[in-house]
Amino acid sequence: METFIHQVLAGLATGGIYASVALALVMIYQATHHVNFAQGEIAMFSTYIAWSMIQTGMPYWGAFFLTILVAFVLGVLIERIIVRPVERSPVLSVVVVFIGLLVIFNSLAGWIYTYTIKTFPSPFPKEAPFGTHLVSSHEVGAVGVTLVVLALLYGFFRYTPLGLAMRAAAQNPESSRLVGIRVGWMLALGWGLAAAIGAVAGMMVAPIVFLDPNMMAGILLYAFAAALVGGIDSPGGAVLGGFIVGVLENVLGAYVIGNELKLSVALVLIVGVLVIRPSGLFGKVHVTRV
Amino acid sequence: MAALLQVADLHAAYGPTRVLHGISFELEEGSITALLGANGAGKTTTLRALCGMVKTEGEVRYAGERIDGKATEDIVRLGIAHVPDGRGTFVNLSTEENLRIGAYVRKDKSAVEHDFERIYAYFPRLKERRYQQAGTLSGGEQQMLAVSRALMLRPKLLLLDEPSFGLAPLIVAEIFSIMRSINETEKVSILLVEQNAAMALELADSAYLIETGCVVLAGSADEIRRNDAVRRSYLGY
Repeated sequence: METFIHQVLAGLATGGIYASVALALVMIYQATHHVNFAQGEIAMFSTYIAWSMIQTGMPYWGAFFLTILVAFVLGVLIERIIVRPVERSPVLSVVVVFIGLLVIFNSLAGWIYTYTIKTFPSPFPKEAPFGTHLVSSHEVGAVGVTLVVLALLYGFFRYTPLGLAMRAAAQNPESSRLVGIRVGWMLALGWGLAAAIGAVAGMMVAPIVFLDPNMMAGILLYAFAAALVGGIDSPGGAVLGGFIVGVLENVLGAYVIGNELKLSVALVLIVGVLVIRPSGLFGKVHVTRV
Repeated sequence: MAALLQVADLHAAYGPTRVLHGISFELEEGSITALLGANGAGKTTTLRALCGMVKTEGEVRYAGERIDGKATEDIVRLGIAHVPDGRGTFVNLSTEENLRIGAYVRKDKSAVEHDFERIYAYFPRLKERRYQQAGTLSGGEQQMLAVSRALMLRPKLLLLDEPSFGLAPLIVAEIFSIMRSINETEKVSILLVEQNAAMALELADSAYLIETGCVVLAGSADEIRRNDAVRRSYLGY
């Protein structure tokens, strides 16, 4: 029983990471109706930036927030310089651009930082929390950080004029221009926010999986599954989906299919959701009149 | 009175299809001016051209300043509000959020809060529906919402595209009477595009008749109404 609880709690912890990356995917999907395949690599690259800062002796939280800022700017620049010119292209061209970005960031990280695995520090204490050995402090902390990010995002979109403008721009660009919203900048802002969320996810996962240029490959797949389970256009759904996928992956991996086949859980979930309920748990069913 | 809006030799096209062939008209400050014409005459395109939503040639002056070639977002900031064809509702936002987004470019935040009450006084129905998702409103309510969203900008010039389209006569009459009081009490100039010529001429001070992308007749609302050709083709008696 104790190992089972341990598996569930560990699943919740990694689920928090999947949730963050899924949240970033959903953000860009909502704004542009594109799935950003380079999301994970941007997160990985941001984590390397944080690592460099920490290597120079910067305190953890200073590096943490500075990295979020750098990732935000990076996201905005990618949208303005690379994505913008293909905005109106067919979806396949956009997908190719995203895959190109994925490869570029992956190789860039390998070139600058080498493919040797690096350790990444955790900001949370070493000793186990609440006198239990079922979870580590870092796992509890990572879940907490995910929930804080979600709450901040919710507040931003729900209660600030800029958040409202971003939602409006994503929904109805033409009407948005007519009330004076600079729609292009709203998309860039969406990319910036997504990159920032991804950076948080990267910094939270790196102490668990270690830092290397391929660390996000598997995580991105789980995040896709999470976003689909929750509904690709529902931020809350994406977070819940992240936790569900995290727990399922861990429990099934421990008791049913074994660790080697864990990644296939994500694939089965993706295919299953698409077959049975394409809109996910909380997504909207889109009906197009023809 | 000075002309608030001067349009001279305006051309516009969607790809290779030319829609406007050199339209010229003026709108006096404080007036209601109507653009009349049949389906496909280019009325909607004219409004879209004024807001920089289609590529144009020719000259558009607003309060003496050239606005042709400007971005839509910048034209809005000059105080021109556009109630678009099809109402342009943000269907997933609430009624109140739809109104709030209309005031997006305004800096006087406390006056904006006050303006909600002003709008709700004009359209009590919207107050009842304030927390409802705007996509679930009826056609008439969405038209009220579209007009209200434009008014939240506190515009100097209001461009109205077919406010009567698809609505019950009673609701149309309500919207038109509110347009008149907005024009009279708040001094908002209105450029009205309508297929329903009879209603438009009742509201407007002056009017232009557009046929296949050209102005074919201009004058005061009375003159236009008494014109035999207009009477036969557009007023139907």
